[in-house]
Amino acid sequence: MAIIERPTPAAPVVVTPTETYGLLKRPVSSTGWRSWVFTIDHKKLGIMYAVTAMFFFIVGGIEALLIRLQLAAPNGKVLNADLYNQMFTMHATTMVFLFIMPMAAGFANYFLPLQIGARDVAFPRLNAFGFWSLLFGGIFLNLAWFLGGAADGGWFMYAPNSGPVFSPSNGVNFWALGLQIAGIASLTSAINLIITVLNMRAPGMSLMKMPIFTWMITVVQFLLLFAVPVITVALFLLMFQRNFGARFFDVAAGADPLLWQHLFWIFGHPEVYILILPSFGIISEVLPVFSRKPLFGYPFVVFSGAAIGFVGWGVWAHHMFASGLGPVSVAVFSVATMAIAVPTGVKIINWTLTMWGGKLWFTTAMKFAIGLIVLFTVGGLSGVTHSIAPSDTQQTDTYYIVAHFHYVLFGGSVLGIFAGFYYWWPKVFGKMLSEKLGSWNFWLMIIGLNLTFGPMHILGLQGQPRRMYQWTEARAGEGFFNLAFWNSVASIGSFILAIGILIFLINVWVTSRNPQRAPLDPWDARSLEWMTSNPPKEHNFDVIPTVHHLDEFFHRKYEEDEATHTMKQITTAEDLIAEQERNADRHIHMPSPSYWPIVLAFGLPVIAFGLIYSYLIAVVGGVIVLFAAFGWALESSTAPESDFENPNSSAELVKHD
Amino acid sequence: MRASIASVRGVLNKRCAAVVSSVGFTALFTGCASNAPQDTWQPKGPNAELIDDLQQPVFAVAGVIGLIVASAVIYTMIKYRDRGQPIPEQIHGKPALEVTLTIIPALILAVVAVFTFGAIFKLAKTDDTEMIINVTGQQWWWEYDYPVQNEFGINQPIITSGQLVMPIGTKVLLRETSRDVIHSYWIPALNGKRDAVPGRVHTLRLEADEPGIYAGQCTEFCGLSHANMRMEAVALSKEDFAKWVANQQAPYVAPAVGTLAKQGEEVFLNQCVRCHQVNGLTRADGTPAIAAPDENVWSGAAPNLSHLMTRNTFAGAMFDLLSKRCRDEVWNAPSDMVGARYLEGVTEECLNQKDLRAWLRNAPEVKPMYANPANLLVSNGKYRGMPYLALSEDDIGKLVAYLITLK
Repeated sequence: MAIIERPTPAAPVVVTPTETYGLLKRPVSSTGWRSWVFTIDHKKLGIMYAVTAMFFFIVGGIEALLIRLQLAAPNGKVLNADLYNQMFTMHATTMVFLFIMPMAAGFANYFLPLQIGARDVAFPRLNAFGFWSLLFGGIFLNLAWFLGGAADGGWFMYAPNSGPVFSPSNGVNFWALGLQIAGIASLTSAINLIITVLNMRAPGMSLMKMPIFTWMITVVQFLLLFAVPVITVALFLLMFQRNFGARFFDVAAGADPLLWQHLFWIFGHPEVYILILPSFGIISEVLPVFSRKPLFGYPFVVFSGAAIGFVGWGVWAHHMFASGLGPVSVAVFSVATMAIAVPTGVKIINWTLTMWGGKLWFTTAMKFAIGLIVLFTVGGLSGVTHSIAPSDTQQTDTYYIVAHFHYVLFGGSVLGIFAGFYYWWPKVFGKMLSEKLGSWNFWLMIIGLNLTFGPMHILGLQGQPRRMYQWTEARAGEGFFNLAFWNSVASIGSFILAIGILIFLINVWVTSRNPQRAPLDPWDARSLEWMTSNPPKEHNFDVIPTVHHLDEFFHRKYEEDEATHTMKQITTAEDLIAEQERNADRHIHMPSPSYWPIVLAFGLPVIAFGLIYSYLIAVVGGVIVLFAAFGWALESSTAPESDFENPNSSAELVKHD
Repeated sequence: MRASIASVRGVLNKRCAAVVSSVGFTALFTGCASNAPQDTWQPKGPNAELIDDLQQPVFAVAGVIGLIVASAVIYTMIKYRDRGQPIPEQIHGKPALEVTLTIIPALILAVVAVFTFGAIFKLAKTDDTEMIINVTGQQWWWEYDYPVQNEFGINQPIITSGQLVMPIGTKVLLRETSRDVIHSYWIPALNGKRDAVPGRVHTLRLEADEPGIYAGQCTEFCGLSHANMRMEAVALSKEDFAKWVANQQAPYVAPAVGTLAKQGEEVFLNQCVRCHQVNGLTRADGTPAIAAPDENVWSGAAPNLSHLMTRNTFAGAMFDLLSKRCRDEVWNAPSDMVGARYLEGVTEECLNQKDLRAWLRNAPEVKPMYANPANLLVSNGKYRGMPYLALSEDDIGKLVAYLITLK
C-alpha cells in the first residue's frame, strides 16, 4: 500500500497533518485535465505511458516509411545522405526507447499492481516522475529535428563517429541528454516495480503463484536496474566528450574506441531482452486464457525467463564479432550466444504445448499471440545462424541482421503488444475492440511484416549492407529476382504494414463511439486483474483477495470434475465481483495527486538545454529541480479533507456500507 | 458464438498463416539465383568456403526446425480448435517431457559449437601468411599499402587505392587500421568482414582461388558517404600480378612539352598536389612535388594518384574510371582473360569522361562529403573529402588529358 493516505468520510482519518510545509496544497481533482497531469494513479500513468508510446510509434513508423521510400529504387532521392542518416538513427532510437520500452512500462504499470492484488505501486509520486521524465526526454530528443538536425550516428552511436568533428550538429547532444532523461523513467520504475512485487503481493501469492506477465516484468526490471546505469555512464562520457572537451574516445589521446562498443552493448544486449520479455509475458497470459488451460510448464517458463535474464549479460560481444576482439573472446561469446537460444526455445515449446490439448478460441488477441510464436521463431533461428561467429562476419551489418531483429522485435515484441491491446482493452477502457476490424488489423500486419522483413533476409545474404542512404544497381545482380526486386517488395510491404496499424487506430476510434459496455469477464480470464470492475476503480479491489492458486480467478469460477478431470463452472465473474463489493474494505487510503513530479521532471530538459546552449539556462533548470525537490519533500502527506470538492470514490464507499 | 468464430474462420486462417509464415524461408532459398556481386553464398576462396561449409548445414537445420515449429503450431491449431469440447483438465506440465525438449536443442547447439570453435581458430591463423598488404580506411575510401616484399618483386612500397590487387593462390594478410572513424573491410566472396579501428591494427586473411574481380562494401557506418565507400579486390595470376607490380614501380613519365596533358600537369601542380601525390612528379624548378594532405584533410590522407589509369575506379570506388562497356569486358571476362584485360588499364576510348568530369567539376555534389569551407570550424578548417575547387571547364579538360597519361 502506498504510504500516503487520503481520508474517506466513512473512516476516521488516520493521518491528519495539521500544517502544510510545502508551498502548494496537494491537488485533488478527480476529473478534467488536472486529474491526468497531476495524477499518481498507476492506471492513469499506465495509460499515459501507452498513449505516449503510441505517439512515438507513429513518429518512428513515419520515419520507417520514409526510409523504405528512399530505398524502394536505386539511387533514391527522397532523402539526402545527411537526412537519411538522421532518419535511421532516430527510427531506431524512437522505436526502442520511446515506443517499445514505454509501451512495456505502460502495460507493467497498469497490470502489475492489479495482477498481484495491490492498490498501487510502492512509490506513486516516483512513478509519475518517471512518466514525465520519459515524455520530456522523448520530446527533447526529437526537438533536435527543428534545431539544426537530429542525431546522425546510428542508435549504437559508435565512437569516434559520434564526436564533435564527425557529427558537428547538435543532434548527438540532444540524443545523449534526451536519453539520459528518458533513462530516469526506466531506472525509477525498475526500483518502484521491484519493490512493489517483493512487498505488495496479495496474501497467499507466493512468488511461484505470481502471474507469468508479472514474473517477466520483474525480470525486466532487474535487467533495467543493472543495464540502465551502464548506458548512463556511456552517455555521460559521450556528453563530456562533446560538451566539455573530454577525450574518452579520442585515439590521439590514447583512447580505444572499442570502449564505447563494450559499454554500449553491455547495456544493449540485455536491452534486447528488456524489449522482448514483456511481450513473452503478455502472450503467456493470452495463450492459456484462449486455450482454456494453464500455462504449460509454468516453472520452466519462469526459470527460462530468469535464465535469459542472467545469460543475457554474457553475450554482448556477439554484436562485435567483426570488431577484432581476437579468436578466444569470439569463441566464448559465440558459445554463450548459442546457450541463450536454449531457454528461448523452451518458451516456444511451452507455448505450443499450452495450446496442445486445449479448447482454442481464435480471438484477435490469440491470433497475435500465435503470430508471435511462429514469427519470433523465425527471428530466433536467424539469430542462431549468427551466433556462429564466422558466419556472422558475413552477415553482420547487412540487411540479414535487419531482417533478424525486425522478426524478433516486430514479430515478437510488437505482436505481443498488440495481443495485449486486444486482450486487455475491455479491462482498461470498458469497451470491446471490434474483432472484425481486429482480424483485418492482424492479417494486414502479418502480411505486411513478412513482405517487409522477409525479403531483407535475401537482401542481406546477397550482400546489401545496412545504413546505406542509396544502393546501386551495379551491386544488385541480374535476373528478375535481383536486389532491386526485393527492395521494392520490402517497400510495398512496409505500406501494407502501415495500413494494418492504421486499422488498429480506426478500430480504437470506432469502438470508442460504441456506447455498449464490455462484459466484466469477456474472455473467461484466469488472473486477478479481471477480478474487479472494467475499468477498475481507483483503489483497484474492494477486497484484497487472498490467493490460493496460480490462476486464482479461474479457480474461483471453476471446479474440477473428479471423474472426467474436466472443469465445471461453479460461479460467474459477475457474482464474484458483486460479492466483493458487498464485503468492501471500509478503510481504503489512496494517495493524493501531486504537482511536484511534473515540475521536477520539467526541470531536467531545461538543464539539458542549458548544457547545449547556455549555462544560464542550465542554472534556471537546476533551480526548478531543487525547488521541486523541496516541494516534493515538504508537501503534506495528504490533502485536507475540505479540499475534496467531489469525493467520488468516497461516495462509492459509503454506498457499500 | 465463440465456437463459430473459431471453426469457420479458423481453418482458413491457418492455411494462410502457414504460407505467410514460411515466406521468409522459402523466399530465402529461391531468391539466391540472381548472381549479385556481393552474394555471401558464393565463396571464391578457402576462407569464405570455410565459412560457407560451416553455415550451410546450420541454415538447413534452422530451416527444418522452423518448419517443425510452424507445423506443430498449425497442427495444434486445427486439432484443438474449439469444437464444443469441455474445458480440459488443467495440466500444469510434464517435467520429463520438458527436460527432454530442453536437452535436444542444447545437444544440437553443442555439436554446432564444436565446429564453430574449429572455424574461428582456423580463420584467425596468421603464421603461414605469404603476403602482407596494409589497408587503411578513412572517410570515404581505402588506401592499400604494399610493404617491400622482394619475393613478389615489391622492392619499394606501393601505395594505391580504389582496388586491392592480389595474386591468386596466395595467403594474403590484410593489416587494417583507420585514420578517422571505424570502417569495416568486406569482400564477401573471399572472407567475412573485419573492422578497421583507429589506433588498432586488425588482421583479415584473403585468398582467391581464381582470377577475377570481387566486389565489397564498407560495412561499419562511417558517416555521410558510408554508402559510397566500396571496394573491389582484383585477383590476378602470379605472372599477371608480377606485371602489375612492375608497372606500379615504373618511373614517372612526364607528358610531352606543348601538349594539353602538359598544361594539365600544371593545373595538377597548382591545385591537386596539395593533397594528391603522384610519385616522381616534379615542379618546374625540378623539386619533387610532395603532397601535404595532412594540412588540408582531417584524416591526413588523400589517394595517391600514381599510375591512376591502371585502376578501374575512383572516388572510393564509387565511380568507374572505365565506361560501362569496357567495364563489363573486364568483369565478365573468363577467368583466364581477366588478368590481360585488367592490365590493359584505362585507355582513352574506355575512359568514363562523364563521371570523372563531374567529379572534378564539383566533387561534394556527386558524393556527399563535409567539404563546405563555411562549416569547417569544428575540424580546424580541414575537409572531410574532396572540396569544390571551382575549376574552369578549360582546366578540367586539361586535367583529364593529364590524368589519362598516368598509366
